[in-house]
Amino acid sequence: MKKKINWAPAFFVGPHVILFAVFILLPTIYGIYASFTKWNLMSDPVWVGFDNYKAILFDGKSTFHTQFFRGLKNTLIFVGLSVPLLIVIPLMVAVALEHKKVKMKSLIQSILYIPGLISISAAALIWLLIFNKQLGITGNLFGSQIAWPANQPYAWIIIIVITLWGGIGGNMIIYRASLSGVAQELYESAELDGAGSIKRFTSITLPSIRFPLIYTFVMTTAGAFNVFGQPLMMTDGGPRQSTHVLMMYIRQLAFGNGESIAGMASAMAVLLGLVILVISALQYYVMNRNAT
Amino acid sequence: MSNQAVNGLDNRPVVNRTGKVKGSSNVSISKYVSYAFLLILCVIWIIPVIFGISTSFRSQTEVVSSGFRLFPETWVFENYVTILNNTSTAPILRWLGNSLFIATTHTILVVIVISITGFGYTRINFKGRDTLFFTLLGISFFPGVVNLIPSYKIIDSLGWVNTSWAMIIPGLAGMGNIFLVRQFMNGIPKELDESAKVDGASDFRIFAQIILPLVKPILIVCGLFSFTGSWNDFLWPVIVYTDVDKMPVTAGLLLLQDIYGNYRMIGQLMGSAILAIVPTLLLFIFAQKYFVQSINLNSGIKG
Amino acid sequence: MKKKFGVVLATVLMLTTVLAGCGGKDDSKTITFWTPLTGDDGAYMDQIVKEYNATNPEIKVKHVITADMYTKISTVLASSKGVPDLAIIHADRVPGFVKQGVLEPMQDTVLPAQPELKAENYLPQAWNTGNIDGTQYTVPLDIHSNVMYYNKDLLKKYNAESFLDDNVVTIDEMLSLQGKLDEGDYVVNDALLGWVILAQIQNLGGDIQVDGKPAVNSPVFKQAFEDVKKIADAGLMTPFGEDGYLMFQSQNVLFSTDGTWSSTAHAGVEGLNFGVTNIYSPTADKFTNRSSSHLFAMLKNDKRTDEKEVGIANFLEYVRTNSMEWAKAGQNVASNVVNQSPEYQNYMQSFFTSNEKEIESLYIYTYEYYPYIAEAVDTYCADIVRGNVDLDETLATMQKFVEDKIAESSSAAK
Repeated sequence: MKKKINWAPAFFVGPHVILFAVFILLPTIYGIYASFTKWNLMSDPVWVGFDNYKAILFDGKSTFHTQFFRGLKNTLIFVGLSVPLLIVIPLMVAVALEHKKVKMKSLIQSILYIPGLISISAAALIWLLIFNKQLGITGNLFGSQIAWPANQPYAWIIIIVITLWGGIGGNMIIYRASLSGVAQELYESAELDGAGSIKRFTSITLPSIRFPLIYTFVMTTAGAFNVFGQPLMMTDGGPRQSTHVLMMYIRQLAFGNGESIAGMASAMAVLLGLVILVISALQYYVMNRNAT
Repeated sequence: MSNQAVNGLDNRPVVNRTGKVKGSSNVSISKYVSYAFLLILCVIWIIPVIFGISTSFRSQTEVVSSGFRLFPETWVFENYVTILNNTSTAPILRWLGNSLFIATTHTILVVIVISITGFGYTRINFKGRDTLFFTLLGISFFPGVVNLIPSYKIIDSLGWVNTSWAMIIPGLAGMGNIFLVRQFMNGIPKELDESAKVDGASDFRIFAQIILPLVKPILIVCGLFSFTGSWNDFLWPVIVYTDVDKMPVTAGLLLLQDIYGNYRMIGQLMGSAILAIVPTLLLFIFAQKYFVQSINLNSGIKG
Repeated sequence: MKKKFGVVLATVLMLTTVLAGCGGKDDSKTITFWTPLTGDDGAYMDQIVKEYNATNPEIKVKHVITADMYTKISTVLASSKGVPDLAIIHADRVPGFVKQGVLEPMQDTVLPAQPELKAENYLPQAWNTGNIDGTQYTVPLDIHSNVMYYNKDLLKKYNAESFLDDNVVTIDEMLSLQGKLDEGDYVVNDALLGWVILAQIQNLGGDIQVDGKPAVNSPVFKQAFEDVKKIADAGLMTPFGEDGYLMFQSQNVLFSTDGTWSSTAHAGVEGLNFGVTNIYSPTADKFTNRSSSHLFAMLKNDKRTDEKEVGIANFLEYVRTNSMEWAKAGQNVASNVVNQSPEYQNYMQSFFTSNEKEIESLYIYTYEYYPYIAEAVDTYCADIVRGNVDLDETLATMQKFVEDKIAESSSAAK
């Protein structure tokens, strides 16, 4: 009977562990190794120890230092702007959808989810046309003279708009599913006790969906740190690289023009990974602690 | 008392957009507030889609002429004709087929993997189980951007270059869905297991006949996300595939850029993008009914 | 029960790996040919390849179009497997590739197999750009340039047709239109502005490097930027952040400095009567159209047989005499027998091969670190020209940018 325990883990957990080891662990280790090298992707990496990290973190005059910190700052701005909206708006949608009892729920849900299926290049073209001074809605219907991609804060606005447009669908589905499972009795007894809407929301709804909230909060944040497509396609990092996020710099270094500088790119990626890790752990810890 | 139907009762709490309490017991006002909010959102959300669709029916001349019109002055079918006729350098129907195959297979395998793995992390006890889980989770947070080359080398040594397996298998290693499933399974009371064990059921039996049916909702959600994720991936397929015929549609669309990376034939691009979402759209609409009726995540969601 | 599931799982995994291995073709009778020719251009090359294969050569060519081709090339070179037999690369990649040792010279096996593949039969700079230290590595397909399109109707409207008399539009001529344009009309757009700047460097008699070191923070760069800035300062350039290319198509701009390859797209716009001329210059004596070239090249590949290399030679010879199809893409075909033929003169870009001076104006930068400099210029030029940033400071930043990248690149490590 004890023999069972020996292979059951291997059977259930094993396959994934193998997949993980081959497709995530190995490349990540190699990526970390690469961060200590000078590498142009075509020939073999050349070990340089901590040189890359020194340049990025401590050499104030180095282009890579500037790029890293500017990229990180822009990424943090993006995270700060997008994540709260990507949580709150879907939550409000889910709450509103739970409230009505009309068939249109499916239609509404589809409309809000579909944009996430459209490829980023097409989506960017559509939104750039909409914000285009001559050909778009903002110029023609609202008479706006702004060249959106070329000025702040408008550049950030259009990036956030397209992010929300495509992004709220996912979290909305999760929240809807979670909300639908909250026990009715809880609400009813709370109302009998005289609790108002807000009180019911904060004391019953939110705690009941605490886990999906934490999960989406952590995953959305991690995803936002990896943002790359929207700033690239909407503003190409402009104006004056004020929307040039870190992932764009990393990709440019590794896969851009001329010879690849993959070692430096890996170092930046490792540093970004550490940032994400720390922030995710903090989020999880803080939210879990605020238990009951 | 009515059971937890998906359609909520009218006196569910609702916070409107500005956070003000709207007459806590005044049902109809909060209903209208919700309607208004959703309506506005839907209008904003759908206009770009309509614009995209209508642009696909416009000629380039009309696209660049000043002024904004939601619908084309002259409906032009040329774009679609060109797209569909281009079977050598941009075989979009082929691409759609590839995407469907890849995304479907991937999703099926994902569901299998995450369910058995989730079970393993919650129901099977072994030393270091939770440490293992959280370590893997932590490692998975590293951005994979420079893992491209080693990932390619691995795919190459497995002989999977230019095949669908390179698209289907590596994604199975992800931790995100497993995290969800594990959390969900932790919420299923262990008493169910115990009573089954008393009846002499094996681990696998418990998994297949007791746990699996209960986790269906979360598997559906994870399945949807895996499908969409696989469908939308465009960076990796470009590296993996050399045959234009084998590419999935999102990567294939990149081939419509001109040599300097710009999309110049705007109407055509829109048309391709619209064609590209048709299958997923239909799938989503169809699957939605399933969500709305059968999802009840209550049994699993706990802190 | 568990055994059954286990068996199923194992079978699935096994089938997976087995099926993966299948699907190999007999490669010895096919030349794999990779190109970055996405979009409509790819279709023309495809046509050429089809026609070649229809002549029933011993070894057929398989044309693979790919986005992100250079990333793919890096990955296959790194794993030494799946390297294509033939590829089309850009001129600015050649020095780097040769230094890395990843290009095989054409002159060893390919050129001897088809003696007409020689310098005299091609536009000189297209041929020479593939020649490093006396060894010929590539055979050219075309020269594609930054060019200036003009709107015939708008030129007439503003009495500016005389600008084209000497085939060079000077900056002063453009400035003379200041104050004369309708609201919403502009003299020139900022398409490919970086390339325009690089062209001005040549017009001013300077260069982007000195003794092999990059010279971005230099008087000639400063002058080039200041000259172009004059146009923006006068309000004659399309506003920052607006799509100048689309504005040309919507007939609000007299001149558009985009590329030879857009002629087909512009032709698709009804009512747009346009022509092509050289990029503007500060002086009437010299004009330059910054260009690059698509070159046929062979990446180092052990599996490529001598037979295949002869096959490649045959294909290249076919292309040399049959690339009129490529002219449809709007590019300057490099093969003289094509670009000097009467039929070619029907294409708009034949303007650039119509005489010696024009051919000379197609300037290809061959400096080893050109890509980094181009990247720096592209990043900052729009802001400099609009006066959004301080010129001197930015030139210093750009210089550092290029130097840092060069220091980090592997060739410096050697």
